[in-house]
Amino acid sequence: MELQKFQYDNKIVKWFAYATMTWGIVGMLAGLLAALQLCIPAFNMNLPYTTFGRVRPIHTNAVIFAFVGNGIFMGVYYSLQRLLKARMFSDLLSKVHFFGWQLIIVLAAVSLALGKTTGKEYAELEWPIDILITIVWVVFGWNMFGTIIRRRERHLYVAVWFYIATLVTIAMLHIVNSIEIPVSFWKSYSWYAGVQDALVQWWYGHNAVAFFLTTPYLGLMYYFLPKAANRPVYSYRLSIIHFWSLIFIYIWAGPHHLLYTAIPDWAQSLGVVFSVMLIAPSWGGMINGLLTLRGAWDKVREEVVLKFMVVAVTAYGMATFEGPMLSLKNVSAIAHYTDWIVAHVHVGALGWNGFLTFGILYWIIPKMFRTELYSKKLANAHFWIGTLGIVLYVVPLYFSGIMQSLMWKEFTPEGQLKWQFMDTVTKMIPFYLARAIGGTLYLIGAVMMVYNLVKTTRKGSFLANEDAEAPALEKKYTSHGKEHWHRWIERKPIQLMIVSLVVVAIGGAIEFVPTFLVKSNIPTIASVKPYTPLELHGRDIYVREGCYTCHSQMIRPFRSETARYGEYSKAGEFVYDHPFQWGSKRTGPDLARIGGKYPDSWHYNHMMDPTSMSPGSIMPSYPWLLDDQVDVSSTVAKIKAMKRLGVPYPDGYERIAAAEMEKQAKGIAENLKKDGIKTLADREIVALIAYLQRMGTDIKNQPKTAENKN
Amino acid sequence: MLNQVNKNRKLLLLLLVLPLSNYAQDAVVTVHTSYFSNALFNTLLVIIAVLLAVIVTLGQTLKKLADSDYFRNRYQKKEEGSSTGDALKKTSLVLLLLFGYHSYAGNGQPAAADDWLIGGLDMFTFYSLLGIIVAEFAVISILYNIITGLLKTERKQKPAPVQKVKTKTILEKINASVDIEKEQDIMLDHDYDGIRELDNDLPPWWKYGFYLTVAISVIYMINFHVVKTGDLQTEEYEKSMAAAKAEVEAYMKTAAGNVDESTVKQLEGADIEQGKEIFTGNCAACHGKDGQGTVGPNLTDAYWLHGGSMPDIFKSIKYGWVDKGMKSWKEDLSPMQIAQLTSYIRTLAGTNPAGAKAAQGDLYKEESILINDSTKTVSDTLIIKSDSLK
Repeated sequence: MELQKFQYDNKIVKWFAYATMTWGIVGMLAGLLAALQLCIPAFNMNLPYTTFGRVRPIHTNAVIFAFVGNGIFMGVYYSLQRLLKARMFSDLLSKVHFFGWQLIIVLAAVSLALGKTTGKEYAELEWPIDILITIVWVVFGWNMFGTIIRRRERHLYVAVWFYIATLVTIAMLHIVNSIEIPVSFWKSYSWYAGVQDALVQWWYGHNAVAFFLTTPYLGLMYYFLPKAANRPVYSYRLSIIHFWSLIFIYIWAGPHHLLYTAIPDWAQSLGVVFSVMLIAPSWGGMINGLLTLRGAWDKVREEVVLKFMVVAVTAYGMATFEGPMLSLKNVSAIAHYTDWIVAHVHVGALGWNGFLTFGILYWIIPKMFRTELYSKKLANAHFWIGTLGIVLYVVPLYFSGIMQSLMWKEFTPEGQLKWQFMDTVTKMIPFYLARAIGGTLYLIGAVMMVYNLVKTTRKGSFLANEDAEAPALEKKYTSHGKEHWHRWIERKPIQLMIVSLVVVAIGGAIEFVPTFLVKSNIPTIASVKPYTPLELHGRDIYVREGCYTCHSQMIRPFRSETARYGEYSKAGEFVYDHPFQWGSKRTGPDLARIGGKYPDSWHYNHMMDPTSMSPGSIMPSYPWLLDDQVDVSSTVAKIKAMKRLGVPYPDGYERIAAAEMEKQAKGIAENLKKDGIKTLADREIVALIAYLQRMGTDIKNQPKTAENKN
Repeated sequence: MLNQVNKNRKLLLLLLVLPLSNYAQDAVVTVHTSYFSNALFNTLLVIIAVLLAVIVTLGQTLKKLADSDYFRNRYQKKEEGSSTGDALKKTSLVLLLLFGYHSYAGNGQPAAADDWLIGGLDMFTFYSLLGIIVAEFAVISILYNIITGLLKTERKQKPAPVQKVKTKTILEKINASVDIEKEQDIMLDHDYDGIRELDNDLPPWWKYGFYLTVAISVIYMINFHVVKTGDLQTEEYEKSMAAAKAEVEAYMKTAAGNVDESTVKQLEGADIEQGKEIFTGNCAACHGKDGQGTVGPNLTDAYWLHGGSMPDIFKSIKYGWVDKGMKSWKEDLSPMQIAQLTSYIRTLAGTNPAGAKAAQGDLYKEESILINDSTKTVSDTLIIKSDSLK
């Protein structure tokens, strides 16, 4: 057999590595800013671009898609070439992929800061960027499969299975969740509404965690951990079982983000049981990682790369055990909407994704630069300061989350809620401060790493094209004796991709189809009507400012919630909500029934300076809403888009919409005037007030109780 | 002899499965009597299942050990003399038999109606389940002893380190890992960029844990969506509301804080202080911190939109004037708190704070005699003092 010579492309790996480090620091800084804003509202800086509602999506998008995303590509481009014994299919595609992805990140950061958002968590980017993501993802897939086709290794290693599953599933998730009707170049409405939107969104949100933060990183673990430890992988059989069960089961678990909400009970129950069944498949990865280190634990003590990896895998194990526990309905009843969830995801993010990325960076940079790490001592210090940072970040939030939830639920013997919402917020501030300190430590560690690695690159000489050789694959495969049945699919990449796609498509399909087609899943309510044009504008402002990052719009059927917020939310109330805005965190109170609770002037003053109306509030001020005019030019397009989505506005309504809008706005301005507030009717604040006053009131248009008639 | 071992193994497996079939029967019975809605029953059932998983795991470990070269050698050697291994196996068999038998006894008969209830379970069921748990513990401890015993004798039997024998760590035992020294035997011929793969078996605890979660999931779905013994969220909510209502009613019957608009009287002293605190926390946002009025009307002048008497103000707070922006506070404040708040608001009359809002509504004139009267009645008849509230 002829031995072929070829070269691995290290340059593209280096670029992605630099991007990973850069965006890591940027994303963490955004996170730190958001953390500080929660304890010191002055950090919102009274600017639209820097309020929490916009910084938080910038932070999440930056750390997930920029930091971890580039981390994935760095690791995949390094390991894929070596596992397949082939250079990447096309250097040009690699470059297009790299620059395309960085362009997406920059566009994302700018558009999010400008308030261009779809209002769907972790999928906030507007439709032009969505299309760009799809294109770049296809380029990545093309490059990956091109390399696979040209491989010199017959069978695909487990890491590559994970890469393929990632590729197809992310494509599916992204496309299905991003179906939206454009209103203008930077504005669109989700194709789905209310309950359906929620179900699709959390199917996406949950599986973005699964297939962007988990499966590709498991793939990376399967390459870099045995390489760094120089040990064989513990169990091939375990790899097979946990790979297939993981990708199959993960998809179903999305509804566990929506327990006790208005989604159908059966979907919730599926979310619960599939989360419980997910423990073992998730732990399969951890076990295979940790047991691979059998006989190498003395090395772990010495080698900082392995230290990072061990903590990463352990954090993965903790987070994937905690996840199913949080998915039990009685635990979710306590934890949902609180800091507990924030703590949970950061065990995964800081521990699993962060530390594995650091470990890989510490390993490949010296390798590609043909030198030793600049300072092992500094790397060790990074390890300890990072670990301490995680603990300091996470522990206060567990405390605050549970404490706040219990306060929300506490009643006096007379049957009154014991705590005002504000009481429960002010008590959290010290914990938020502690969390910010933990985050700062983690960030300092990351900066130390960047310094250390930059110094390493200075010290070494970069090997852009690494020589390698391997025999070419023979045309026909002849098996040598008995082999494991799974070997068949390992030499059939296309089949592997198709089977993966089928396996991951099942769960979503079974959960969506009935919710979309069976009417009884979303009982309609006759008194629920479409939003008026002014309210629609107000709603878009609500979405733009990222109010959903702190306020839920979903009252769960608990005594403590109906006493505080009013009647629990019904599925039929959200049928015109494109997109749904149920939120996932209650830093502030639920707003599902805020309508009519306070006078218009209260809202006006509150948006201008929240502390004037609720002393102690940590909500940012929104002074620009008082000055900026509503963009009336888009009214017709908005109504038309809504009609296309099936919202039953009367025929020709878009023609009278402007007049209707003016009338309603004048009414609100009049109302404000009575309370001594002078404002023009065309200001954004008026539209927002219109929306806030509408929220949750439709089902109240029923006969009042005897008491209220007094 | 190998046949013998195999036969034994089959018997073992059968015995392990038998109790399982029992549970299946058990489940059918209990569905009708809706035992699944009993938390204690469920808890005990889960404990039983978990312990069963432990037993199966230990059984597997024992099986592995029995299959190991070392044990086989020893078994052959012992063939001539008395066979401890055999004896041990026999003991375990008997025990497992007993265990299976026990669970039959426990579940074979339908639960007898009994007046004695423990945590909502009749005594018979409770003790049967408890019995199963105890029996399971017994089996576990015996299995554990057999395993550790085997490993101990192994250590004792090899006195001189002719060849170094590595004892398995607990981790290796529960994972059923192949020794590192012997890992070449299970090294697969894959080599991916220098990464080799071992063919270790699935860790038994992991595998059976997986089965267990699947079983739990099936039971969960059956409970909530097939036989519908579990409460879904709407029923759960209604039940909790009814329970809370009963609880509050019971409290209010004995408690003193039960005032409404027809019985409310002006309070004094510490109650006014309490009222002020409530005002600052809840009302100042709209009515100003001194009641001068901002978004809401001025509370310090003599003009009232909805009446300025004690019962009028009490009612305005309790039910609100929602269309005018005043919310109903009855879910947030107890009747006594509203009384304290009303009393405080009435002390604001004529304080003339800075920045007072223009008067709204009608002039309300207090009959001074009435005030005197009411203060008197307060001191005479009011049973509740602020300290009795705490």
